[in-house]
Amino acid sequence: MPSAHYFLDEIIASLRNVIAPAIPDPYPKAQAYMAAVILEFVSRQVEERRDLAVEKERALDALFRDLSAVLDGKELPELPDVEQEARLCRLIEWLYAEKDRLGPEVFTAANRRIREALRKLLDEELKVAGKTE
Amino acid sequence: MLPESTQEKIRAYLQSKLPQAKDLTLTQFTQTAGGWSHEIYTFSAHWREDDQEVTRGLCLRKDPGVGLLRNLSDLKEQYRVLQALGPTPVPTPQAYWYEEGPTLLGGPFFVMEKVEGEVPNPWSRVGKQYYAEAAKRDKLPRSFVEALATLHNLDWRVAGLDFLGVPDAGADFARREVAKWESLIQQSLRKPEPVLTEVLMWLRANAPATRRLAFVHGAYRTGNLIIKDDAIAAIIDWELQVIGDPMYDVAYVLSDLNREGSPLLSCVVEREFFLDYYQQLTGLSVDLDVCRYYEILYMMRSTAFWLSASGLFAEGKNKDLRLARTAYSVPVVLDMAAKALGF
Repeated sequence: MPSAHYFLDEIIASLRNVIAPAIPDPYPKAQAYMAAVILEFVSRQVEERRDLAVEKERALDALFRDLSAVLDGKELPELPDVEQEARLCRLIEWLYAEKDRLGPEVFTAANRRIREALRKLLDEELKVAGKTE
Repeated sequence: MLPESTQEKIRAYLQSKLPQAKDLTLTQFTQTAGGWSHEIYTFSAHWREDDQEVTRGLCLRKDPGVGLLRNLSDLKEQYRVLQALGPTPVPTPQAYWYEEGPTLLGGPFFVMEKVEGEVPNPWSRVGKQYYAEAAKRDKLPRSFVEALATLHNLDWRVAGLDFLGVPDAGADFARREVAKWESLIQQSLRKPEPVLTEVLMWLRANAPATRRLAFVHGAYRTGNLIIKDDAIAAIIDWELQVIGDPMYDVAYVLSDLNREGSPLLSCVVEREFFLDYYQQLTGLSVDLDVCRYYEILYMMRSTAFWLSASGLFAEGKNKDLRLARTAYSVPVVLDMAAKALGF
């Protein structure tokens, strides 16, 4: 998900360059420009929610730690030295590619453990993107 | 709205296509949609011919160059599909002319009939109410199923639609669709999405066999149908059509993606009635397990759409804030797919 600052900057630009110039009535026009100014201040106040990234990292650390046991002695693939979520993508692809060799029990156990981690990642993202009730 | 100079270019173009038309004028230029996929303009053309006054409603569909589907959208293919469907019982606008070159409007476009009727937006409160009231009168739900059955009963080879590509027997169709939308994801992805990887791997590993090939719309729902007098006057938005599994369209109708809180499928038809009447009209038995697979495929496809849209914005190719907003839709639709897969 793109950063909050990125979106705020784009909305400010749209208010300044697209919306406000197209409004003929002076009062709503001034309101649109003022909204852009206020959003600039808000952008300086906003901090990214580091807690979400931390929780995601924690879930991924736990997954990669557990995997050797889940794979029941079967060797783990060599995963590229990239960020954890990219490594997880490669791991999922490997698991499906090796499904027959690993056998149904190991595949199912590893897939279940991966899905558990995926659920945690999604739950963190939904704290921002999910509908507020 | 198109500038007047462009409107005059279109008038001159139509004059070249209608040499018998005298005193040709165009009125009521309206842009009906834009930004997501295509630019669509409707207008009325008026002329004299054999001492008769003629008025015809027309619709111009233009390739904006940076549409939601990127290189997967082919305006010429859409035009050819409409041409092929013209003589068939499938209700569609009549296609008139296609222009490939960028000289006139800066990109390819085609002109078709403007079908009279309305297209209430099923996502709006007013639209939901419109469809709910029409459902009580019973005629529109019947027409909704009948138009879909007409589509699936069509002899697509006779209609000349095999240029769309014909899948092999077995699971080839489902695999082709997965690969198509995966290619859009590859063009759009800006960061790893492990949940999407799991969904894609599951789709690849569980592709169902197609029992019968049919001509499939790919997005059959209210909002893509012109309605007049409680009946489907035309099926529109021909952009995702394929020769494939008719269950693909059935799954789209059954999907929760297209009813947002309405108890009615596509906001207009009762589930049991849809299944019974569709099976009666087509002779097909609906395979709910296959439909469940395609519903998950649609969730992956929606994810591909939103990644593409937000990617176009992030890449600076389209600065429409509606596209930016879709970045927040990605986890929501992936959550639907995860729940459908049991996690």
